[in-house]
Amino acid sequence: MFSASNIFDWFADPENWMGRYGLWNLISEHLVLSLGSIILAAGFALPIGILVGHLGKGQALVVGLSSVSRAIPTMGLLFALVMLLGINYRELAVTIALAAIAIPPILAGAYAGISAIEPATRISARAQGMKRAQLIWHVELPLAASSIIGGFRIAFIQVVSTVVLAPLVGLGGLGFGIIQGLALRDFAQVTASALVIVLLTISGDQLIGLAQNKTRVSIKQLTKRQVAKS
Amino acid sequence: MEWFLKNTDFVLGLTLTHLWVSLVPLFIGSVLAIVLAKFVPKKLISPTNGLLGAIYAIPSLALFVALPAIIGTSYLGPTNVLVALTIYVLASMFFSSRDSLAQVPDSANFISKAQGLSHGQHFIHVELPLAIPGLIAGARVAAASTVSMASIGAVVGVRNLGYLFLDGFQRKIPDEIITGLVMIFIIALALDFLLWLIGRLLTPWTKKRVLNV
Repeated sequence: MFSASNIFDWFADPENWMGRYGLWNLISEHLVLSLGSIILAAGFALPIGILVGHLGKGQALVVGLSSVSRAIPTMGLLFALVMLLGINYRELAVTIALAAIAIPPILAGAYAGISAIEPATRISARAQGMKRAQLIWHVELPLAASSIIGGFRIAFIQVVSTVVLAPLVGLGGLGFGIIQGLALRDFAQVTASALVIVLLTISGDQLIGLAQNKTRVSIKQLTKRQVAKS
Repeated sequence: MEWFLKNTDFVLGLTLTHLWVSLVPLFIGSVLAIVLAKFVPKKLISPTNGLLGAIYAIPSLALFVALPAIIGTSYLGPTNVLVALTIYVLASMFFSSRDSLAQVPDSANFISKAQGLSHGQHFIHVELPLAIPGLIAGARVAAASTVSMASIGAVVGVRNLGYLFLDGFQRKIPDEIITGLVMIFIIALALDFLLWLIGRLLTPWTKKRVLNV
């Protein structure tokens, strides 16, 4: 067994921060892998989710996809894709797997946010002479922003928790310290790595939560803001 | 398919482990969630929400290996996985449990009090039954993610269906990985159906109302 001072010593050792498998490099790999795949997923999921919410068609598909995806183990998806594309393309495979994991919640968040807007709001905007694009940009998106960010929040949690498994298929990221530490029975390394992952994930999640709260806006507030602008 | 037929007994053994590693946390976690939702005082609701939300964000593998340092368990083996999954179920069901208990109509609360039901009787015979549709909905979400998350337990030495991913990858047997995916999907669907059925059986009046209309 080890004590808190072992973990402290581990963090205090500059060796553990530098180099290919040092914390700095692992943190940046972790973030690049997670954020890259979330952005990729958003490129697909956002336009489709907004369109589905706006047109009111295809909800069954979005809802079905998000409930089915919950039953698919992310770990299995990761391993299956790396195997399918071959170990040489593992970086691409992991990115695709992570993006696939991020798509359903982003899609659902965008769709739910926009479809929750009252028809009266939409009709009044159209009656004011707003074009379809203006309606989406000036009315629907601001009202749905909080829900859209909520979708990203769930996607972030899912993706970051799967990135931790990337070392199992030969990539880096903060999970490396856990996997290697377990294999070498270096439990100070395991616990220290877990601690960094926990801190990183919780702060990321809280940050997105803050954005979610900041963008929550009622029609009244939105109208006031638009009036002030014009 | 061929791989599966050759290894049926092995896969069934892993499936059984997978089932109990998922069901035990689901049961304990949902009971804890309902109890907490009922008894956490109003003042402490938002800190509890914040704490559980933050815990929910922690990647499962990180929580599995962080627990030994906190509760002194050994690094490998099912205990950490069971505890961690229970915490996730609790975190995910706390919100829905609170909402569904809060949705019990005031009139029902009032009438049961007027009829002289004690607090315990009121909770068991009035609040809980009326909250069941919401509780079941929350349990279905928790069940699907627990079954899928349990597979990560294989990394810390729990021999469940997740082991098929690790082993299939190392030995380059795609069928083994696919078997794991399909089995976990089937378990998740079966549990989902079971919960739906339990909800239906526990709330016969919802069905009656549909028929009357």
